[in-house]
Amino acid sequence: MKSIFGIALAAGMSLAILIAPAARAETIRVGTTCTYFPFNFKDSDGNLSGYDVDVANEVVKRIGAEIEFVCQAWDGLIPAILSEKFDLIVASMSITPDRQKKLDFSVPYRISEGRIIGRTDANHNLFNEDGTPIVEAFEGLRLGLPRSSVYDRWTDAFLPKVEILGYDSPDSMYLDLQNGRVDLIFTNPMKAHLSFLAADGIEGYEFVSPAINEQDYFGTGAGIALRKGNEDLQARLDEALVAMREDGTLDEFSLRYFPFTIYPE
Amino acid sequence: MTFDGSLIIDSLPRLMDGLWITLRLYVLALTCGTTLAIALVLMRISSKKYLSWPVMGYIYFFRGTPILVQLFIIYYGLPQLEFIRTGPLWTFFREPFFCAWFALTLNVAAYTAEIFRGGILGVNSGLVEASKALGMTYTQTFRKVTAPIAFKLSLPAYSNEMISVLKATALASTVTIFDVTGVARKIVAETFAPYEIFLSAAIIYLVLAWVIQNGVRHLERRISRYAN
Repeated sequence: MKSIFGIALAAGMSLAILIAPAARAETIRVGTTCTYFPFNFKDSDGNLSGYDVDVANEVVKRIGAEIEFVCQAWDGLIPAILSEKFDLIVASMSITPDRQKKLDFSVPYRISEGRIIGRTDANHNLFNEDGTPIVEAFEGLRLGLPRSSVYDRWTDAFLPKVEILGYDSPDSMYLDLQNGRVDLIFTNPMKAHLSFLAADGIEGYEFVSPAINEQDYFGTGAGIALRKGNEDLQARLDEALVAMREDGTLDEFSLRYFPFTIYPE
Repeated sequence: MTFDGSLIIDSLPRLMDGLWITLRLYVLALTCGTTLAIALVLMRISSKKYLSWPVMGYIYFFRGTPILVQLFIIYYGLPQLEFIRTGPLWTFFREPFFCAWFALTLNVAAYTAEIFRGGILGVNSGLVEASKALGMTYTQTFRKVTAPIAFKLSLPAYSNEMISVLKATALASTVTIFDVTGVARKIVAETFAPYEIFLSAAIIYLVLAWVIQNGVRHLERRISRYAN
């Protein structure tokens, strides 16, 4: 009996040693989707890359901590951070009033807007001169959009007549637009430019809406999300992000992926 | 995080919108699949190899691959074929609901055909011989003796399949359909409360499963009313 107890104790202790962090540095776990090119994605060598990832790495470095990424599907990100699976979300998440009820956000590090894409030859005329949607024009049209997104909420509010199809990934959305399953898609224009409109072999599609960015829905930009009650961490993140904007680091990161800069003025 | 019971109550009306789609998908897939299964099992038990072998292959494919994979092949794969996308079939395959129905129906047919085959094999061969001795033809024997007994023997396994299909309808949410699960995922995205909302969805499925289970139990009791 004693020896069994001894073995159990030894096993417990060695386990404790294994689990204990090797270094004393603070480790910050960052949740992201790992599938959203060119913001957060695995490159051909399997390394996590993209604008969000660059920003996360740099910010965490500047506040003097170690970083650890956790890949999590988009619609589980907020539930996962609330149940402390990770400490920050850096996943192109727009700072919206709804999300701010549950989470705090850093200052924005990226603009947040959406645009609708359709076939060029369909000659869609869906928006007024002043950029407001013509509600009737959407009747009978099918609109694909990312499920659980700012696009979803905006469409629910402004386009009551359109038929909505909810997608889990932008790529299946582009595919269904090409296949003709949907007439329109509502998406991130920066990503759509790189992954779809400017991609090889894609012709005959264009933006059919102006930039849509009502603050109530699209927020003030995309920011780093953290659980409420971490004012100290939030202040450190903000300080680092403001410095990165001023010293040109965000310029550099933008231009790695886009021919233009993508952070708010 | 705290548990917010009022969220369950609030989400139920919206989940009911999804329930209509789930039910339509379920009833259509189950009835069409079962009808197809009857044709398949007749081919499967035939002694003619050109009838039984293709069905064996069909059943092997649909039982051996995940429904999700089949659904993705039908939804995303088929439109890659030029003749589907430009042909008359596109009217159907363009619809996400049709794709989900199609995948589920083919699945139900494969499983149910095997269940019915088991029932047919379970029929006492003495009864078949007795029918032959009475001068009944093969077709008469099958219709009047084998099939009714086989149906009764298949019922417990078939009720299992009925419940499996109910749960499989949730996969429709992966191809843009707002069924109960699809709506639940949408509400979770708005409330960030997966626990309460998915629990509501689970309650809806449980109620449906309860109805199916009891329906089958009544049917079983009814068709075996002369058994004892």
